[in-house]
Amino acid sequence: MLCCRLLFLLMRIQLQQVVPTYIEAEKIERSQLWNNTVVFEPGRKIQIVAPSGSGKTSLIHFLYGLRKDYNGKIIFDNASIADFTADNVAVYRQNNISIVFQDLRLFAEQTVLQNLEVKRQLNPYHNNSKISDMAGQLGIGNKLEKPCKTCSYGEQQRVAIIRALQQPFQFLLLDEPFSHLDETNRKKAMALIEEEAAARNASIILADLKPIEYFNPDQTLYL
Amino acid sequence: MALSFKHIAPFLHKENNKASRLLSYFGLGIGVLLLLCAVQLYININVLLKNKSPKKEGYDFIAVTKDITDDNIAGDHTFSAEDLAGLKQQPFIDGMAPLIGNKFMIDANGGKMLPFSTDFFTEAIDNSFLDTLPPSFQWKPGDAVIPIIVSSDYFEIYNTLFAPSRDLPQFSESTISSVFIQLDCYGNGFKDSYKGQVVALSDRINTVLVPEDFLEWANKKYGNVSVFNPSRVYIKTKDANNPDLLQYLGQHHFHVNKDKTKFGRVKQVLQAIVSGLAGFGVLVIVLAMVLFSFYLQLMIAKSRENLQLMLMLGYAPQWLSKTVIKNWIPVYVTIVAVAVAVTAALQWSFKEMVMKGKDELSSMIDWSVFAIAALLLVISVWINYRLVKKLLYRL
Repeated sequence: MLCCRLLFLLMRIQLQQVVPTYIEAEKIERSQLWNNTVVFEPGRKIQIVAPSGSGKTSLIHFLYGLRKDYNGKIIFDNASIADFTADNVAVYRQNNISIVFQDLRLFAEQTVLQNLEVKRQLNPYHNNSKISDMAGQLGIGNKLEKPCKTCSYGEQQRVAIIRALQQPFQFLLLDEPFSHLDETNRKKAMALIEEEAAARNASIILADLKPIEYFNPDQTLYL
Repeated sequence: MALSFKHIAPFLHKENNKASRLLSYFGLGIGVLLLLCAVQLYININVLLKNKSPKKEGYDFIAVTKDITDDNIAGDHTFSAEDLAGLKQQPFIDGMAPLIGNKFMIDANGGKMLPFSTDFFTEAIDNSFLDTLPPSFQWKPGDAVIPIIVSSDYFEIYNTLFAPSRDLPQFSESTISSVFIQLDCYGNGFKDSYKGQVVALSDRINTVLVPEDFLEWANKKYGNVSVFNPSRVYIKTKDANNPDLLQYLGQHHFHVNKDKTKFGRVKQVLQAIVSGLAGFGVLVIVLAMVLFSFYLQLMIAKSRENLQLMLMLGYAPQWLSKTVIKNWIPVYVTIVAVAVAVTAALQWSFKEMVMKGKDELSSMIDWSVFAIAALLLVISVWINYRLVKKLLYRL
């Protein structure tokens, strides 16, 4: 029991007075996140709401270990993410954290299936039949063999969501993940995400321009 | 199924620049073949030219003098203390002893049995340089008999040329010791007569040898000299054909019997040719490696976006570097294995067709060729791994 508790404490992300190096002072003052101590624990649903240009994507990239242009510290497993080596970052991304990028970042020339498999094979959480199930669930089952560049932006957004769900994680970062989806597909995608996060007892950290009505967060933070 | 190169292959622009990749494989194969053949040839030369000079107790003993040429004929041709120290210091010289000559007059006559009279000379050398050393080969002041060791060549000349022309008796190796020659030594106001007795013949040293103790004593008494520079030095070496030895002797204008070292000179030339071949092989390998590195750099540059995205998704640069390079290991192993096989076939053909009957030469390639092939393989893979790793960590 104590072990589980310790593991739980270790596997949280703590932001210690994090401030992007380029952000204006007035935005920092208004923010509930910048220059504060904030803890993200597994199994929670966190919604981050902010208008354009206030640093949503920057925060998601900081948490994912993609950028280091901030002051303060982001601590995971007792270590600062900024101090991770390239290979440590890879381990972190394989096991602990997954992401849906705002700009999707798919392999345009490869098929949808190749885009999904390249992530799944890295550290498989599901077997490959689950890919077809998920694709069918989100309405892109017939696109698996098509090159990604031939899919619409909405379809590509669903590919990016399914890709993020192919690995184990304690934290799932979603950066405006439904911006190009209609309401039906948004709800389906949200349901799939919540189901997958619950199966892993993982946190969802969703950043968007405004609160999403069919997402019931445990905590909402305004940047 | 474990993650492997085939999973990431679709994301790499591997088929670009195929010509330079294939050319680099070909170049690497030729380079490795040249280098391995050069190594095997080097070994063959050493095997074939080994023991080409008569060795005693594993050593060659060679007389060294200073070159006497038209230009330096009037100069000093003795070995200075510096020359002797230099010789002693060389790693390929295992021992050195000067030959001391007589610095006084000696007349020799054979008495009634051998009616001849002649000016005579003797030399002395450290006993450890003698191939035959009978117990009687020693002298102390007061002894009337001086033991002598004569060169076998001189003995043969006496028996085959001198004795028949002068109607003198011939001797066998055992009967020569029964002959006493009268040696009159004089100089510095002294004149004494001794009996010279041939106690042994030497195949090694071409001179008339007397005990060192006698010559040192007699030089002082009749020649009034105790220290002087020798004009002939014997050196003891494990290999008279060692190119380093020949180079050293040549550089210092020391003269040796060419016959004793002729294989060394052949070896020197052959080794130079083989070294050139090996150098060319290394050059070709380096060029092939450079060409292959261009191919790898181009592949990574063209796949840059995909590789960056893979790293972003959680692929470790270390794993990617290893996996990319592992993909080429079978190609490298094949290239080196083919080069080893061709070298082995050439060695077999050389032994069986050109050097048939030379049992000292093996028809198999030497283990060192395998070792060098394995080393080349490791170096090639390692260099490319380092290159890919460096490029990926920079992404």
